[in-house]
Amino acid sequence: MSASELGRLAAQSGEVIDRTSPIRFNWNGNSLTGFKGDTIASALMANGERIVSRSMKYHRPRGYMTADFWDPNGFVQVGDDPNVRSGHRLIEDGMTIEPQNVWPSLDRDIKAANGLVGRFLSAGFYYKTFIKPQKLWPAYERVLSTFAPGGKVDLDTPHRYHDKRYTHPDVVVAGGGPAGMAAAAAAAEVGANVLLVEHEHQLGGHLLWGSDADRAVAAELANRVSAAGVEVLTNTTLTGRYEDNWVGIVQRSHPLAVERLIKARAKILVVAPGLIERPYVFAGNDKPGVMLSGAVRRLVNMYGVKPGARAVVFTANAEGDAAAADLDRVGIDVARVVDARNGENVVSASGSSKSVKSVKLGDGSEVEADLLVTATGWTAPTSLLNMAGDRPVYDEGSARFYPSVTVDNVLSTGGISGDGSVDELVAHGEATGQLAAGRASVVKHRVQALTARSVPVAGPEPEWTADFRPELGRDDHPELFRSTTHGIVDFSEDVGSKDLVAAAKEGYDSVELLKRYTTATMGPAQGKLETVNTVAVLAEARGETIEQVGTTVWRPPYVPITLGGLAGRNFEPVRVSSIQPWHEANGVTPIIAGAWIRPEHYGNPADEVNNTRTNVGITDVTPLGKLDLQGPDVPKLLSQLYTNKWMKLPIGSVRYGLMCAEDGVVLDDGVTGRLGEEHYLMTTTSSGAASIWEWAENWLQTEHPEWQVHVTPVTTGYTSINVAGPKSRELVGRLVDDVDLSAEAFDYMRVRTGTVAGVENCIMWRIGFTGELSFELHVPSGYGLHVWETLMAEGADLGVKPFGLEAQRIMRLEKGHFIVGQDTDGLTQAPAVGMNALIKLDKEDFAGKAELAWAMESDQVPHVVAIQTVDPTIVPGEACQILKGTTNEIVGRITSSRMSPTLNRSVCLGQVDTAHAEAGTELTVLLRNGQRIKANVMSHHAHFDPEGERLRG
Amino acid sequence: MASKPPRYSAAGLLTKGARGQTWPRVWREVPLQKKYDVVIIGGGVHGLATAYYLATNHGITNVAVLDKAYLGSGGSGRNTAIVRSNYLTPEGVAFYDRSLTLYNSMAVDLNMNVMFSERGHLTLAHNDSALRTMHWRAEVNKLQDIDSSVIDPNEIKKLVPSLDTSNESRYPILGALYHPPGGIIRHDAVVWGYARGADHRGVEMHQKTEVLDILVEGGDGPDGKGPGGKVTGVRTSRGDISAPIVVNCTAGWATLISDMAGVKLPISTRPLQAAVTEPVKVFLPAVVVSGSLHVYVSQTDRGELVFGAAVDPYNNYNIRGSLDFTEGLAGHVLELMPGLSRMRLLRQWAGLCDMTPDYSPVMGFTPVEGFLCDVGWGTYGFKAGPVAGETMAECIATNSTPKLIEAFKLERFAAGNLVGEKGAAAVGH
Repeated sequence: MSASELGRLAAQSGEVIDRTSPIRFNWNGNSLTGFKGDTIASALMANGERIVSRSMKYHRPRGYMTADFWDPNGFVQVGDDPNVRSGHRLIEDGMTIEPQNVWPSLDRDIKAANGLVGRFLSAGFYYKTFIKPQKLWPAYERVLSTFAPGGKVDLDTPHRYHDKRYTHPDVVVAGGGPAGMAAAAAAAEVGANVLLVEHEHQLGGHLLWGSDADRAVAAELANRVSAAGVEVLTNTTLTGRYEDNWVGIVQRSHPLAVERLIKARAKILVVAPGLIERPYVFAGNDKPGVMLSGAVRRLVNMYGVKPGARAVVFTANAEGDAAAADLDRVGIDVARVVDARNGENVVSASGSSKSVKSVKLGDGSEVEADLLVTATGWTAPTSLLNMAGDRPVYDEGSARFYPSVTVDNVLSTGGISGDGSVDELVAHGEATGQLAAGRASVVKHRVQALTARSVPVAGPEPEWTADFRPELGRDDHPELFRSTTHGIVDFSEDVGSKDLVAAAKEGYDSVELLKRYTTATMGPAQGKLETVNTVAVLAEARGETIEQVGTTVWRPPYVPITLGGLAGRNFEPVRVSSIQPWHEANGVTPIIAGAWIRPEHYGNPADEVNNTRTNVGITDVTPLGKLDLQGPDVPKLLSQLYTNKWMKLPIGSVRYGLMCAEDGVVLDDGVTGRLGEEHYLMTTTSSGAASIWEWAENWLQTEHPEWQVHVTPVTTGYTSINVAGPKSRELVGRLVDDVDLSAEAFDYMRVRTGTVAGVENCIMWRIGFTGELSFELHVPSGYGLHVWETLMAEGADLGVKPFGLEAQRIMRLEKGHFIVGQDTDGLTQAPAVGMNALIKLDKEDFAGKAELAWAMESDQVPHVVAIQTVDPTIVPGEACQILKGTTNEIVGRITSSRMSPTLNRSVCLGQVDTAHAEAGTELTVLLRNGQRIKANVMSHHAHFDPEGERLRG
Repeated sequence: MASKPPRYSAAGLLTKGARGQTWPRVWREVPLQKKYDVVIIGGGVHGLATAYYLATNHGITNVAVLDKAYLGSGGSGRNTAIVRSNYLTPEGVAFYDRSLTLYNSMAVDLNMNVMFSERGHLTLAHNDSALRTMHWRAEVNKLQDIDSSVIDPNEIKKLVPSLDTSNESRYPILGALYHPPGGIIRHDAVVWGYARGADHRGVEMHQKTEVLDILVEGGDGPDGKGPGGKVTGVRTSRGDISAPIVVNCTAGWATLISDMAGVKLPISTRPLQAAVTEPVKVFLPAVVVSGSLHVYVSQTDRGELVFGAAVDPYNNYNIRGSLDFTEGLAGHVLELMPGLSRMRLLRQWAGLCDMTPDYSPVMGFTPVEGFLCDVGWGTYGFKAGPVAGETMAECIATNSTPKLIEAFKLERFAAGNLVGEKGAAAVGH
């Protein structure tokens, strides 16, 4: 017998392939042909390909075992897509499919030599070796890591995103077998809005590979589903159930998306995934040619594939019997039916590396066969129920786990709930659908009652529908997990029952420890095939029952989801001011500052500084945080947030304030002006725009809900322009008629509202970060560009030029203004910044007061000071450390440094400890290149114009 | 006292393999006794390391480690197994550097391969302020002989080709703090190694033994608990145990356990979510952390990518994980490494983090005599496991606070001496 015994059968009545539509694809370098509707697995087997992969550790050749999504042997690389489930993925024209985990090739794999030393490589062997000499471990590690299973990532794979979908159905049904279809139809027929998702490519579940009568029932149910208006998504899987029935659904069948994530708030979730057939553990159970009954029935009946020439069927149930009948019907020689119900058993399978050749039975006889079919029971995929808090309970009589108590809004039906004839399953599904629809209507009523609406919800809340469904039966089934021999339990991890027993004896004898030590159930199927056998082997090793051992916890997702599908479109919006087109047209070098893109400079920051200090410069400061505060209690809020006093700020005045977190660390700073009786405008740092809004709301919503304050973030509502320099009053004066700009009428730290370049309702501040006479204009953002262009045009004769963030930073450093987060850090408490006069401990309360009371008493705080290097040409890099004399003891660091175009020397701000904060102290600064230089602490933060005559001008 | 067990070695594997023999239990299963010198609550890295160092460094072996589930079932088995020592403050550096040293020699010390993979640790900077912080850390680290430097995008690309270092991305990578000694380790093996080492020296491990109450006499609070009281033992799901010293080495439940002794902790509990992908061939050689994008990622020798993120922004005891976490995570990962869009997320989970106001732990004595804490480890408990165990053991054995953990005393909150690792801890891993 050879691999060519596989092939295509004559047409089958239930086949889903279209024999009139051939499809060419490429497998392992060979061009092959399949039919439309073929999975990769069915197409490969129809072409006589039995070996599809090599196992992880021993590199044993592997063929299809379940021939569906869960097949642990069926992982292939399709183009740039690694780990494709070839038992599930349909072939497409021109598809390039490669085997994974083979070296150098599928047929000849050198690492298969590991199989010879298998008994030395028991699970967890690596914990016991490669310990000494320690120096060699990295080399060992490199070798070990070449055994990582799986496909290859192509780093050039594009992220073809697709938008996600949100939906709010009354009932979501996971699983389109007979019970699921009946549930969906029944719920929809009584008016529920139903979404039915089916993991496979067609509705029907196990009926699809059943008898003609089964398929007729499936077709009838599908018609009913459709007639009832159920939305059906096939090749789509419910991946996770989260709090409040928030469910994730991955749709692989969308015509445009690789995978689309659907997020649904299901009022009621019906879980009907059916059952997953369980492999049997015996020597040789991973040989190509050992298949489960469901796989054989699927291949024969749905795909017209001949899975072998001569079969032994080991059966403990009707599915196994049916598999034998199917094989016999299509002319495959069924050499022996081994009936577990009569105490018969399969002991081992042996053969070449390519295929099973003979099967040894419990009675000692050997039967030649290239196909061994096992039907030893099922695993109930209770995963989705577990995510809702359910813990499965084992039933000895039927040899599988069942859900215990489900939560109210999650119901289960179908095979997961019990056994029955097709009619019984349909009846249970219908009852479940009706129950789901009834409960969904109650949930809907509750939601509507909670939602503000113009028309009140009609009538009282309907009664919560009680669960009076008839219970499905539980068919007797022998407990069949492991034969008298040892075999593979976890096929993707290459973990055998012998490994599990050895690990249990070593003390890894709870199911979670065993899993972590041996890696059993940690592979791509996440235990759907392996968990119950793992538990059974452990129970056997411990001499306990399966119930006592219990199972592992199933975690989401139910099926793996691509990162691309999860990410969808990556919403990372870019913010720019309304002046951005002008910046771009005028040679700006941009800088990314959080969400914003803003001008860093327009060519030469030093020139921009010089022009601003001599003539007038304008800069776009739109990202500056702006919060509009209204209400009678605004002063209370300001007093709570800032360290200084705010109860008596006159209208038209502006005050600077410092904000601290509860730990006294400087959080933000800025100015707030009073525009009217109960109307204030707060500015925050650009980076604090969002967080300070949250901070303010946090105080209002959680601590002082009684305060009447309304906070509106208006950062992007205004375009903000700072006009700075000796000629700024003249320039602004050319654009403003309705505000007296004279120094007497509008002096430093005042705010006015007026018309700028014809734009009404602009806010003008006499403040500035640059140290020059300056006006900060907040212009309704639609007019930002207009005002900017007008300033440029009107100021041409005054020498107006734009300046960017870099020039602004230089000028503020020349002036010694600190930047929160640069000159302060996550540890810098308010007393460090030299503004103790602004910390009013006599206020009743403010954020950080308790900590600051301590900090003010202590002398052990860092101090922000101005620093100048002795050699004016050296600019120490930011973050350079300040050391104590010639030692390596850190006493501070440079936090800001630039070459000052105004002073023509380097200027710095830094943090130093108390012992080094005194003016005139000589400091040692360690440059990044290792050189130590001298620098001095200055007497004033401002390197330039310490008296502030220029900005008051 | 246990008899000397066979050592793990390649030769041992060969012999036992050839003879078909099995290894003895990694730790013994023994009856729970009525009395111990020290009871440690929590069978994770911290509790087991404390027990191990009590036995090895101080000869205190009449010790029971209790866990309500199985060993390593809490944070020790849920973290992303990253270790590093490039902290910001000298205290932080000294503390974590000691931990890294212990991790480095752990395989030999414990005779168990904990698979410490010293593969390098990159913290990416996506803006100039982050880059400045990286320089700050590098400068501090250099002065303390920690191998740590700032590298530019070209060097980053050479180390990790899968990263998008172009300036086309939304948040271009401007540089990174590179810390070659950082890496990952097999976290479960650390748990088992400590348990095995402690067991060999006579310590008892008791799984499925839940502490229901802590027995205290003479305290100011109700039932004689609280400050001024003295511990007499614990009440467990398997009966009462008397012990003069009870140590709280739990995470997630630290406040609930301390409440049993009448000791209030300034701790709030938040989930930290993590996820792992299906395996693919190894392509990511270093640990990559991006604070701005809230993601850290490494690839195990099995080929899986292990992802973590920032702690959830609310208090919660839920360890199930959320859908929006995986969505955000995937988005950020693809920002960093766009080529991974076809990799598949396999499993997600969450662990519980006990957060203190200054992002530093609470270690040592409490106002209840005989009740000690090693809690409040936030998101960095695993990294600190060995040094925490070593210092806690010293604290118990000498009845005085070791210098290395002086700053982590519970009293600091009342005295206003908070620890300053918050700035650095803001970029967690």
